[in-house]
Amino acid sequence: MLRREQVGYLIRESLAGFHRRKLTTGVTILIMASALMVLSLFTLVTVNLGALVARAHTGIDLRVFMVDAVAPEMQPEMQLRFLAIDGVQSAVYIGKEEALAEFRRELGDDAVLLDTLDQNPLPASYHLTLTPVARTSQAAQAVRDQLATWPEVSDIAFSQAWVEVLERWTFLFRMASLVVGLIVFIAAVFVISNTVKLNVAASERVIEIMKLVGATNFFIRTPFLCEGMLEGMLGGMLAMAIVGTAHAVMSPQIQGLIFFTPLQVAGFIVFCVGLGLIGSWSAMRKYLKL
Amino acid sequence: MRKDSKIYQGPLDPRTIIGFYHVDLVYSEKAALQNVSFNIANGEFVCLTGPSGAGKSSILRLIAMDAFPTKGQVIVRGMLASHMNRRRIPQLRREIGFVFQDFRLLEDRSVFDNVAFAQLIVGVSKAEMQRNVMRVLTQVGLWDKRNRRPRTLSGGEQQRVAIARAMVNSPKILLADEPTGNLDPVVAQEIIDLLFRINDGGTCVIFSTHDHEIVKSFGQRVMVLEAGRLVSDELLRLSLDRQASLVDRMYRPGNEAARSARQQARFPEEVKRAQT
Repeated sequence: MLRREQVGYLIRESLAGFHRRKLTTGVTILIMASALMVLSLFTLVTVNLGALVARAHTGIDLRVFMVDAVAPEMQPEMQLRFLAIDGVQSAVYIGKEEALAEFRRELGDDAVLLDTLDQNPLPASYHLTLTPVARTSQAAQAVRDQLATWPEVSDIAFSQAWVEVLERWTFLFRMASLVVGLIVFIAAVFVISNTVKLNVAASERVIEIMKLVGATNFFIRTPFLCEGMLEGMLGGMLAMAIVGTAHAVMSPQIQGLIFFTPLQVAGFIVFCVGLGLIGSWSAMRKYLKL
Repeated sequence: MRKDSKIYQGPLDPRTIIGFYHVDLVYSEKAALQNVSFNIANGEFVCLTGPSGAGKSSILRLIAMDAFPTKGQVIVRGMLASHMNRRRIPQLRREIGFVFQDFRLLEDRSVFDNVAFAQLIVGVSKAEMQRNVMRVLTQVGLWDKRNRRPRTLSGGEQQRVAIARAMVNSPKILLADEPTGNLDPVVAQEIIDLLFRINDGGTCVIFSTHDHEIVKSFGQRVMVLEAGRLVSDELLRLSLDRQASLVDRMYRPGNEAARSARQQARFPEEVKRAQT
């Protein structure tokens, strides 16, 4: 059990590296912050794309156009058949006249053009909404494939086809974040390890005397480990502050841009502290022979 | 190998505090020590001598378990080096004080803080620390200079600070590696006298030097090393004056029974004369 004086000493020594080598420590924190900023930016883009995909999923629906041979009287039977498909929540019938009226509304002032038509060219259709579980491009695709085999169906419009593209991008960004994360991990460990190495070299005499008077390895190592963790934490906090500021500036211009939750921010800082710990531990293993 | 500390159960003299048995030490394929054997009793004052590179520092490193024998056995305070758990080495070092030729003081701390540092490491209360530091700094005559930085002191004073630091944890063994190497003869003699006084308190002192003049003035057990071999281990004979001085010191108040018994065994004639 450590005494109060010993705890005080360990805290003082943990901060001593910052005081003794202000420039080196400052540069280390800046390099760490830059690397971590890139990582947090990638993560933030991934988080935003993920949120966008989640929002898009809620709007996934299908428009199923029927062949003209299907009589309006068959509508109740068709509706039951649609609802029997796994993943379909509702099926709303849009008759030919209703479709024309809708088209007329969309055309606005140009609707007069429709008066020149002899007959209504628009087919009757069903608007299918999917159950929450089936609101993925994959599930929607399965429903679509099933409907495509029906002879009564002339065409199917997948209104959220862009979701697939979005999902692909989200996946790519997630992979890129992992790669960037790995690179940042190696770089951060290297940078912190180097700074702690300098500190170990500068503290050679104190370490030697500590060993001579019977300091435990824990007591000798703790200040260096704490220094690395502090550098990691400050680097992470600085990166978060920069990304947070950038988000605050950009969010009025980009609607729906989200930021990390407090829990995610805390997790990121803990990750950075962990990076610092690993960095200083590796320096310790290499350069501090006890 | 060194999984558990093991108390050596062999046929040791109960007064033995350090034992070397056929010890070889090889550093990067160079033999630093070859077949070295000796026992050192509790409270003994031993002078290790020999030319540079003879193996004096290697012996001190082995005692401190800063190095481990390539062959043979080293026992310090009943701990067998070959079975020493590395986690217990700090505990052993708290029972050993170190003094070096280059003092090895912390330049950015005061004399008081340099000595208190050893107490901080072992974790004593602030009040106890104050008391112990005051005791040893008074013993080495530097209490008045407790707030000075080491570089403002003379070489002899710096060495006394180093001795105070080595003694503040009340070690059982004091290892002094060429402690007079950087000092002029007068100051060197003061340091040696200080080490003798420490030995009077019952601490076993092992003093290494290559200075023949110092060795000749010793009248103590002298071990001579040459090229890693122990070539001589004997008690130097002294002038009558020096013997009288030693006997006088032996019977000064504060001497411990173990040391007296040892001295009696070493100087039977002188002790007898002093008693009559």
